[in-house]
Amino acid sequence: MTKKIGFIVNPIAGMGGKVGLKGTDGVINKAIKLGAKPIAENKALETLKEFISHFSIQNDLHWFTCAGTMGENELKKAGLTKIDIVYNLKSKKTTAIDTKNACLKFLEKQVDLILFCGGDGTARDIFEVVSNKIPILGIPSGVKMHSGVFGINTNATAKMLHEFVNKRLTIGDAEIMDLDEKLCRKGKWNIRLFGIAKGIVEPTYVQVGKSTFESVTDDEVKDELTEHIKDEIEKNSDYLFLFGSGGTIDYIAKKSKIKNTLLGIDAVYKKKVVESDLNEERILKLLQKYPKVKLILSPIGAQGFILGRGNLQLSPKIIKKIGLDNIIVVSTPAKLSSTPFLRVDTGDKELDHLFAEKEFMMVVIGYRLSRVVKIQTNNF
Amino acid sequence: MGGQTLMKRNATAFLKNEYEELVNKNLDWKLRILESGSTPHSIVDGKKVIMFCSNNYLNLSNHPRLIQSAIDAAKKYGAGSGSVRAIAGTMKLHIEVEKKLAKFKRTEAALIYQTGFAANSGLIPQLVGEGDIIISDELNHGSIIDGVRLTKADRAVYKHRDVSELEKVLTDADKKYRRILIITDGVFSMDGDIAPMDKIVEIANEFGAMTYVDDAHGEGVIGPEGRGIGAHFKIEGKIDVEMGTFSKAYGVVGGLIAGSQDLVNFAYNKSRTWLLSGSHPPAVAGAQLAAIDVLETEPQHVKKLWDNTKYFKKELESMGFDIGTSETPITPVIVGESSKAKELSNRLFEEGVFALPIVFPMVARDKARIRTMMNAGHTKEDLDYTLEKFEKLGKNLDII
Repeated sequence: MTKKIGFIVNPIAGMGGKVGLKGTDGVINKAIKLGAKPIAENKALETLKEFISHFSIQNDLHWFTCAGTMGENELKKAGLTKIDIVYNLKSKKTTAIDTKNACLKFLEKQVDLILFCGGDGTARDIFEVVSNKIPILGIPSGVKMHSGVFGINTNATAKMLHEFVNKRLTIGDAEIMDLDEKLCRKGKWNIRLFGIAKGIVEPTYVQVGKSTFESVTDDEVKDELTEHIKDEIEKNSDYLFLFGSGGTIDYIAKKSKIKNTLLGIDAVYKKKVVESDLNEERILKLLQKYPKVKLILSPIGAQGFILGRGNLQLSPKIIKKIGLDNIIVVSTPAKLSSTPFLRVDTGDKELDHLFAEKEFMMVVIGYRLSRVVKIQTNNF
Repeated sequence: MGGQTLMKRNATAFLKNEYEELVNKNLDWKLRILESGSTPHSIVDGKKVIMFCSNNYLNLSNHPRLIQSAIDAAKKYGAGSGSVRAIAGTMKLHIEVEKKLAKFKRTEAALIYQTGFAANSGLIPQLVGEGDIIISDELNHGSIIDGVRLTKADRAVYKHRDVSELEKVLTDADKKYRRILIITDGVFSMDGDIAPMDKIVEIANEFGAMTYVDDAHGEGVIGPEGRGIGAHFKIEGKIDVEMGTFSKAYGVVGGLIAGSQDLVNFAYNKSRTWLLSGSHPPAVAGAQLAAIDVLETEPQHVKKLWDNTKYFKKELESMGFDIGTSETPITPVIVGESSKAKELSNRLFEEGVFALPIVFPMVARDKARIRTMMNAGHTKEDLDYTLEKFEKLGKNLDII
């Protein structure tokens, strides 16, 4: 069956990096003045060529893209033929609006995957339109790439595309994260979690008998994690449970019939939400009221952060009070295979040091099943 | 009332449906039929082939002493044992095998199970329960995994053969659990590498954890006289449970555990698989007894197996094949993509060499392979013929 791929290049992505800007959102003119050169086109082309050279299945693909520098040029240069231009730029300079308009067309055409070339900003623009309706795969070309939708490099992205087209990869959660650029240029630094998109992930296999394996879906794995957490809540009935943010934890909460805020921190006591979407202050108050607390975290984004990205409400003070031994980290094996470390960057040297000393944490990867994962506390 | 009742449901439609689904996905087992014994030259599906996928490493299944001992036992004690071991099925012969085995393994005691699978699935769930943890190598074999699933214990996996990761898991588990059980394969059947059992035992002792090794592919193969992994690392009697099988190198059938008398007393009183299946027929016990005897008195079989293995590995390597990190008579010939492995296996079969492909997800996608298992009964001519075919086809298929 023919696969439909929406292809979009953000031609200005990544230009801010070499000239010391933290992105190009709203400051492209400044970047160009500083001498920034486009890099996205080459990255996109490299990926497409890699994809074609190794894998001879491009005939099964139908490409939908934007005119000129936003995709058409790269596809043609790569020698691909089955291309439909679904969007023409309104002016020579591309903006977020163009990306979003193109995505509306992709939705209309019901593409199977959106392959884009850009950074966190581009991923966010796409996500704002397609939400979790279409899986997204990013060719890394931005200054910031915290979102969990990118391949590690062009080569890896080409390979993922190939595996997806061959149905060897499946669809799973991928966080969309981005720096708040306005705050950042003012010297404040905050990576926000914007939402949970669909990305493509390695399926999980379980051995069901001698030499036989079954591939299980991401949801089936998360069902197991849910059972695990339910047991934990049951066993520790005198504990307050803080549910962290991210797709995996959101799924667990929903399945446990706990009303959860996808991007925020919620507190659960005796299976009921006591407070939701908490900020630091309110968490600290809760900690006074409930002396026994367990915190459920999951690695988020491309780098697998459990603390320090997308959940700054969980301040060092809070983590110290809860205690490292009361943190439960859950993750699908697929997620762990793409981020082999748990990254921690709390902004507090003493606390980061505690994590560094701990060296590793046990991560729950199935029902009553865990594995050891190293902790990385270096700043990135 | 009376008259026609409505059909509630089709009680058995799923049998056909599910089977057909497997067939459609090409996931059904296509059974290959041996028209000969499991011999170095076998007749498989009507074709004469050199056998490279049997576990009959030492060719003991064809050894005259085993065959004679089976016949003698059957003549003397009959075809069946009449009962489960616990009630009236324990014959003197069974006890004799267990005593001889313990002596051979240099352990205090041993116990025979109906199969290796029965040993794992029967014993593991008794060793641990709720509030305990099983720590296992991530690449453990299916029969261990099934045993582990039957328990209420928590589970943690560590990276393949990585003792430092194991130590980390132990550090974490130490505070939280009552009993800790470390389980690993002795010889890993996909890659032919060996678990670092000496180090595992050492670290287990530090933490007060039990050790359990499934040595199915090591029994009769590694260690002096083929006495298995304990002997290989010179730690006989120090592994809490040395589990193995009579169905591979020993050339018969049946599972075994070797360890302390306490272990054996506990195991046969608690393993449901042991308690609830009939004991081995006298012929099986007779052959088992002879198998141990042959291992003790005829060192040439183990030696031949290793000579063959070393020669075969050396030649494959010099041809330019990637043969992985095997340390045992299991030699994987890594070819890359799954399709290539399947193709090579088919062509080898056409040429009279029977070796199975192992493909994703049993091994990584780009590490599909032909798994060859050496046999002490192979002659140098057999190996040269096989190597020649590997070389020819390897070149044809752009592997070397």
